[in-house]
Amino acid sequence: MMPTLSSHMRAAGVALVGLMCGAPLVVTAPHAQAPSQAIALAIPDAKARQAVEREIARAVSRGLPSAPLVAKAMEGITKQAAPDRIRSAVAAQAQRLEQARGLLGPTPSEAELVSGAEALAAGIPTAMLKQVRAAWPAQSVVMPLDVLTELVARGVPPKQALERVVTLMRRGATPVQIAGLGAAVQADVAAGLAPDAALEVRARGVMSLLPSPAAAAALAPSGRRP
Amino acid sequence: MPRRGPPLALAALVLFGRVVGAQSDPVLRLDAGLATIQQPAIGTVRGRETSDAALLAAFWRRPLERSTLLASGNLTYARDSLAAIQGVAVLSTPWRREPNLRTDVGVAGASFSLRSAGTGGNTNAFVRQHVVRTDDGGWVGGAMGRTRRDGVPSATTSTDLGLWRRWRFLYGSASVAYQHSTDWLLLYTAGDLDARAEADYDLVDLQFVLQARGGPHDLTLSWTRRRVFADGPISLPALQGSGTFQLTDRVALLATVGRQLADPMRGLPQADLAMAAVRVSLGPQPLPVMPRAVIAEALVHTEVGTDSSGATMTPRAILEIRVEASDTAAVTVAGSFSQWEPIPLRWEEGVWIARAPIERGTHRLGVRVGNGPWRAPRNLARVRDGFGGESGLLVVP
Repeated sequence: MMPTLSSHMRAAGVALVGLMCGAPLVVTAPHAQAPSQAIALAIPDAKARQAVEREIARAVSRGLPSAPLVAKAMEGITKQAAPDRIRSAVAAQAQRLEQARGLLGPTPSEAELVSGAEALAAGIPTAMLKQVRAAWPAQSVVMPLDVLTELVARGVPPKQALERVVTLMRRGATPVQIAGLGAAVQADVAAGLAPDAALEVRARGVMSLLPSPAAAAALAPSGRRP
Repeated sequence: MPRRGPPLALAALVLFGRVVGAQSDPVLRLDAGLATIQQPAIGTVRGRETSDAALLAAFWRRPLERSTLLASGNLTYARDSLAAIQGVAVLSTPWRREPNLRTDVGVAGASFSLRSAGTGGNTNAFVRQHVVRTDDGGWVGGAMGRTRRDGVPSATTSTDLGLWRRWRFLYGSASVAYQHSTDWLLLYTAGDLDARAEADYDLVDLQFVLQARGGPHDLTLSWTRRRVFADGPISLPALQGSGTFQLTDRVALLATVGRQLADPMRGLPQADLAMAAVRVSLGPQPLPVMPRAVIAEALVHTEVGTDSSGATMTPRAILEIRVEASDTAAVTVAGSFSQWEPIPLRWEEGVWIARAPIERGTHRLGVRVGNGPWRAPRNLARVRDGFGGESGLLVVP
């Protein structure tokens, strides 16, 4: 692709973001049409462009956040993906967001939906998202989901990764401690340790700092997540 | 890399893709298939003999601290007419100070029982130096091999030189290889020499390969012109086509049709073949294999600044991308932290660097050199991007 076309596509991509995030009324209506000039530069093929617009508008009309869908479209534009591939990637992202909403219900935050969709994209089974939510029904599960996703993407078996993360959650670990687990495993893997072995070692280390299960139950927060 | 007859540059391209696509996970692939192989029949110089054969092959790759270890083996079996087992192990090491350079060192061995070319075994060793840039590269290499065929020993040496270049989805290569061998029976059975035994002979292969890649699929065409110098020069052409069609993340169909010229380095005879196979990839979820010519890392650290009045500001996370690539390259990073707006890296003290504030949460990002593919920094977990490529996954606590 020529650099000039690419830069035009970038400029139009920014226009698309502005459209979706800054003017929600426009996209809330199904089949909302963006100013054709701006979008035309982003995705030259008119049919494909309209199909992407429709996917985003349809998702927004179902109450899904537009930002992660626009981000996916922007990623495709930056990577100069074929227009139809951008449309299908946006549609798949919308589907994952909807799935995550059902699994992390009843009222997941937008950040939780995004993290849930990332987890599903990484191949984490749907039942595991429910287990994460069940472990922390009243706290944000963004960080546990993010760490779980990263561990699985690094090659840790999902079942093992879930077990460790959920155990930490139930033992009262803070999001920072859970994030620390992910960072420590990353460092160990970079040093040559197998991902599953690194997780075992690091999870034990974090666990030793936590209160006993009974104490953790007594300390569990009862309020709703932010 | 072992010397193969016709698919020299093809093998270089494929192995190049496999080697420099050194990823963080071990890879195991199994191929199983059927082939029809037509070989010259021994004792009848112009006679041909067709065998239906079963094929089984395995490819394994294990990233080490600095290098990548690759091993592959294959078994070809057609009852009494054809049985061969081959194995190869390669250690591929990028240079510490010059990541565009890579050295491969390997050994290979084979045991065979061929109606056309006797019973015996072969061992060989090779070294190959690669220059791998984003859109082009080259290699130079040498190999030595020993073959024992029906109790008679022979030796082969070879040197080869090649260049490759990429144009969007097309990869092209041109290579030349020179071989000197005393394995006269090999060429004799192919009908390429006179009946009398030659003490030794020389081969010069000129080969062109064109490969089209679309996501995980590929289509390859190779053409070789061989000149044999024995008691008089002989010219032999060979054309071969092959393709890979990825059915699912783990299953692919492979097909090859064409001529494989005699390979004295590995002791294998000339054959016309048609092969179809199924490939199954095991281990962690496989990702598209693409050349990785640069070493990129993503680091996150906390920065505590002061405002104009000198008061300490709230600490913020800073993403730092470091890429080791040629100082003439154009390097960019993009990701969800920048709304996928490409950010150019700056050349600082021998490395490309970009720094940008990053919010807490999960981010996807990629690094690109020139017009090459977007790649995940090597220290991040890699995920599919939904566009046939990959992104790096970064969790900022």
